[in-house]
Amino acid sequence: MLRIFHNPSYDFIKWWRVAAISTIAFILLGLGSFVVTGGVNYSIEFTGGTLMQLEFKQPPNVADLRSTLDAAGIRGAEIQQFGSNREFTVRARDERQVSEQAAGAEGVARRIQDALNRKYAGAFTVVRTEAVGPKVGGELRRGAVIAMLLSSLVTLVYLAIRFEWRFGVAAVLSSAHDVLVTLAFIKLLHLEVSLTVVAAILTLLGYSLNDTIIIFDRVRENLKKQRKEPLRDVLNRSINETLPRSVLTHATTLAATLALLVFAGEVIRPFAWVMTFGIFVATFSSIYIASPILLWIEEKYPRKVEGRPAASPPREPREGRARAQAQPPTRPTPAAR
Amino acid sequence: MSNLKYRVLLIVVLVAASVWALFPRTVTERVRKPDGSFAYEPVRRVPLKRGLDLQGGMHLALEVDESRGAVANKVEALDRALKVVRTRIDEFGVSEPVVQKVGDDRIIVELPGVDDPERATQLVQKSAFLQFQITDETQALDKALPRLDAIAKEKGAAGAAAPAAQKPGAPAGITALLTPGADSTKAAGDTAARADSTPVGSTTGGPVSRLITQGQIPGQYYVAAADVPELQRYLALPEMQAALPPGKSVRWGSDTVSLGGRSFRPLYVLDTRPIITGEYLTDAKPNTSPIDGNVVEFQLNNEGGRRFKRETGIHVRDYMAIVLDDRVMSAPVIQSAIGSRGQITLGGGDLQEAQDLALVLRAGALPVPLKVAEVRNIGASLGKDSIDKGMRAMVIAVVFVIVIMVGYYRLSGVLAVAALMLYILYTMAVLAGFDAVLTLPGLAGLVLSVGIAVDANVLIFERIREELDRGKTVRTSIEEGFKHALSAIVDTSLTTILTAAVLYQYGTGPVRGFAVTLIAGIAASMFTAIFVTRTFYLLWLSRARGNQTLSI
Repeated sequence: MLRIFHNPSYDFIKWWRVAAISTIAFILLGLGSFVVTGGVNYSIEFTGGTLMQLEFKQPPNVADLRSTLDAAGIRGAEIQQFGSNREFTVRARDERQVSEQAAGAEGVARRIQDALNRKYAGAFTVVRTEAVGPKVGGELRRGAVIAMLLSSLVTLVYLAIRFEWRFGVAAVLSSAHDVLVTLAFIKLLHLEVSLTVVAAILTLLGYSLNDTIIIFDRVRENLKKQRKEPLRDVLNRSINETLPRSVLTHATTLAATLALLVFAGEVIRPFAWVMTFGIFVATFSSIYIASPILLWIEEKYPRKVEGRPAASPPREPREGRARAQAQPPTRPTPAAR
Repeated sequence: MSNLKYRVLLIVVLVAASVWALFPRTVTERVRKPDGSFAYEPVRRVPLKRGLDLQGGMHLALEVDESRGAVANKVEALDRALKVVRTRIDEFGVSEPVVQKVGDDRIIVELPGVDDPERATQLVQKSAFLQFQITDETQALDKALPRLDAIAKEKGAAGAAAPAAQKPGAPAGITALLTPGADSTKAAGDTAARADSTPVGSTTGGPVSRLITQGQIPGQYYVAAADVPELQRYLALPEMQAALPPGKSVRWGSDTVSLGGRSFRPLYVLDTRPIITGEYLTDAKPNTSPIDGNVVEFQLNNEGGRRFKRETGIHVRDYMAIVLDDRVMSAPVIQSAIGSRGQITLGGGDLQEAQDLALVLRAGALPVPLKVAEVRNIGASLGKDSIDKGMRAMVIAVVFVIVIMVGYYRLSGVLAVAALMLYILYTMAVLAGFDAVLTLPGLAGLVLSVGIAVDANVLIFERIREELDRGKTVRTSIEEGFKHALSAIVDTSLTTILTAAVLYQYGTGPVRGFAVTLIAGIAASMFTAIFVTRTFYLLWLSRARGNQTLSI
């Protein structure tokens, strides 16, 4: 039997302070980058505007491309290489161009194509066009935010019913953390935030939540068995017990996201980046964020069970208990601020 | 034992059903023939719908255009517009078009495999509002000109100041137009071309009059192509609109005419009341006539025919302007009363233009103007590229997962991999069965889910290992492992399904495809992990009775 992390007994909770500081530092780094370099790189879908993906027969001179567009009155267009040096994307989305879209979204795209036809007739093809009016962009932005909030709410309610409210709150707060960290990551990598990336963030939330639920499920089970054990130890034990599963699942998922990142092409790459990062976030947050939060809530609003006199000794002592005793002596729970 | 038999039977039946659901079959599709016509033909393919981002095509979102006046009953108008757009698209002929209303104010048109997006947009957007109006014979415009001039002078100063401020270097448009030199050359050119017509403006010299020259037929005027924007700006002024002769409307011609080496745009003054509109039209077809070039011949219904005959009978020797979407296509003279047939001359248009015009006339006019709120167009080659790359990522992901699972769990890993294969098969079958659309994000989701789907198996295996550690027998450990892992699997699956449902509700196109793929994947994953893997174990146990070790 090949085993990794067999019967581990790491004190994960001990590190909550370090974890909290490093994650806050990372979020602040993202926020700093946000302040210094300006806003998030939203896709055309959200900002409104025009995107054209062009494939040239010969690698074109980018400066030529730009001056051609400038001459046609498409000023301030972002020209980016997309994959090979024969493929480029052109994004026109300054305020004036976006408001032009209100009258008919296809107008700017037609002008770009006309201008390019004059200069590069026959030497390029338009492989993709997206033109979005300002109204549609606004609606999509709103929809994305609603989707995030609603999925958090739905999860909270579900967990409150299936577990208890403490678990729900801890899981949702940890999800909020995941969103912040991921946004910081997106900002630092300057990834384009498109609907697909929003979908990736939501998937990541689901994945991270899964991870948290797996641990909490174990906590719930262990609490039933061992009512006297302090929550801190129960948490540590539960994390340790689920550790092999975590490592295995993260490995297989990482295999899938890496395959996407490397082989699935340029269009899906931002999605793959977010998901790859998400695996680490999920692992981190379910261990170092969700669990300490649960502990903190427990201290603020203790469960009734603990208030009960410890009359019921642990039922049916098992062979497995030997492991619990192997753990380091419990330290007093960290003072919650 | 019989329990096990039923389990195996269920799995086999599901596999058979999945294979059947995914087996390439013959479907009738609208196919574009090389000659441009369309026909329903049987096509053999895997019955899995691909989204526009994977097969290439065009996505259009249309909204009611209120820039030219508010629309009273928008919801009802949009419903009628939807019908018209649907009829047009059906006739346009793409393999599987989607035309649907989204919300209260938007029409979505999806055209897979369209290779001429420009033409498709035109076809959908064209109002196709056909009117027949008699040209004005009372010189109404000439009478109103002094007043129009006065308004233009008053407003013109303000109007000219604005562009002058924007472009400091260039002379203001109106000043250039008013310089005597420019005007005299124009007038000279006109007289050289047509001795019988005198520039209307030459006597009064007002800003509007100067731009307008009497045309060849009553109610027709010529405007030099360069002056058209200028005059359009004047005509757009509300004061100007109010000062136009009552009961008359001013319409531009569709083509420019060339006279004496200069190009002019005809301007028509027409009786506002149309003698008939396109609503009586029953048929329209393109044709090529030796004299008029490409034309569209139309046919009116009985009522329309009667009305047309009566009206044209009254107006014999008058000129009748055929007005399409407020543009005068042509203005032939009425020789005698016309019955239920007629034709529209396209001037320089090619045969395809005639075909498209005939199509939109047949489908009927749009009750409200529509504007494009969103357009996405993906080339077929890009779509194919995405599929190829997606499939490659899929294969590689599967190989990785197999290596990890078999390497770590040995025989149990093999069982998990077999379950994973069934998982992929079931997911695809569910997608095909529900007629769901596979999009690029959906494909990515599918690849991702290959990694995540084994999670349920990992949970179960780890649990079984724990039970074995506690010294339980193989059979009990397996039982207990499944039992204890169940709650975690159900909870994680349900929360993911809830998230996916929210995504589906608030997402559009590709993202919806992603949500559907996710839901199908989770359902399949729950089934394969809990039921299929368990059955495999039961099979193994029944074979290896009394086996005290489990390869896990």
